[in-house]
Amino acid sequence: MTGGRLRKSPFEGRTPEQIIEAEISWISSLVLFFSTVYMVLKMDVLWVTFGIAAISLYLLPILRLRDPFRALPWEMTLLLTAPMLLHVSEGSRALMENVAWWDNFASLAFAFSLSTLGFLLTVELQLYTDVKMNRPFAVFFVVMFTMAVSGFWDVGQYIGDILYDTNRLGDNSRVMKNLVWSLVGGIIMGFVYALYIKAMSEKRRRMLGFIHLWEVRK
Amino acid sequence: MKVDLKLISRCMQAAMVAVALAGIISDNLTWVPAAVLSLLVSLVPSILRRDLKLVLPFELNFWIVLALFLHVIGGVSGLYDKVTGWDHITHAMSSSLIAALGFVVVVAIDKYVESIHLPRPFLAAFIIMFTMAMGVLWEIMEYSNDVLTGSHLQYGLTDTMLDLLFDGFAGFIVGIAGAHYLVNVTPEHFVESLQVDQAKKKIAGIIGKRRKKN
Repeated sequence: MTGGRLRKSPFEGRTPEQIIEAEISWISSLVLFFSTVYMVLKMDVLWVTFGIAAISLYLLPILRLRDPFRALPWEMTLLLTAPMLLHVSEGSRALMENVAWWDNFASLAFAFSLSTLGFLLTVELQLYTDVKMNRPFAVFFVVMFTMAVSGFWDVGQYIGDILYDTNRLGDNSRVMKNLVWSLVGGIIMGFVYALYIKAMSEKRRRMLGFIHLWEVRK
Repeated sequence: MKVDLKLISRCMQAAMVAVALAGIISDNLTWVPAAVLSLLVSLVPSILRRDLKLVLPFELNFWIVLALFLHVIGGVSGLYDKVTGWDHITHAMSSSLIAALGFVVVVAIDKYVESIHLPRPFLAAFIIMFTMAMGVLWEIMEYSNDVLTGSHLQYGLTDTMLDLLFDGFAGFIVGIAGAHYLVNVTPEHFVESLQVDQAKKKIAGIIGKRRKKN
């Protein structure tokens, strides 16, 4: 720490759109944080693990680079937060009971957020450890990560159901549909992230500054 | 030890041939395709060795044959239905096999692809992930088969979950054992013992011959 007086404010020299983008990202991360706290209060171990993993991946670049503007792109933070909100909110439960495809939608949202975690892992492992991947391997990693975590997730829920004598997992076909969606979501997002980085404007990429593994090489 | 494993492998392959023949003679064809397919797969390491000079560790060869053998024998003799947990044993066997093959491939990638470097802890984690993902893929396959053809491959939630649990266990064991193995043997050494280089030369030679012909 060099003392606040010597460092200029992080807001200096940022365009208004940069500030708005960062603010949306911070607000989403706060939602993520409070949902995680809520999950802690409800003793929902799996979701707490998910929340802590997401928050750590969110905070790591900010803390490492000492710059709050190195927050994840807001759309990624929203994707991370969405399944948790769906899980927490009562409105979602009502929809689950009344809308036939809501369950599938929630599964897909979960798969999207898992693949986002996988994507962040590929980026941050590359940045902060010795791990080096190339792009095809990173896409493969995202798909494998999504499926594996859903698998472990369902096993974890199953064990929880047995321990606490609940039935949150549902029957076999529901679990299998969930896993099918995780496969679909993982494959979609693996390629979407490759395209996403390609489509992202040079300026924004430089501003976010930490997605170099997926960057377009010329 | 080496000779023993080889002999046992041959015996198991012979048993698979016997299963296929017996099925054809007695007109009971249910397990004939599985037996023939398993037999062919169990021959792949030998073919690789003969044609490409690619040598898999002999324990791995043995493991491949054993997993296939238990699957075929379990199916034919009804052990899948009679012995509780048979399904889970074969599951753990085959997923540890997938994990081991994944390990071999990933270590080879680590050595041969310039832009990829995978330290040992990451390697172990990746193998665990990979095995679980393959287990999930397998269950999805069984499920879609059930839905599309009305077959009965999945017995229910408990069974599916136990399958996945055993897949996870196998992944953990192989992942950690693999990482431990690489403490003493460097990845370079391990890949060299597979003789991938000779295999590459062979493949290049084959492609070269094809080109000349055209």
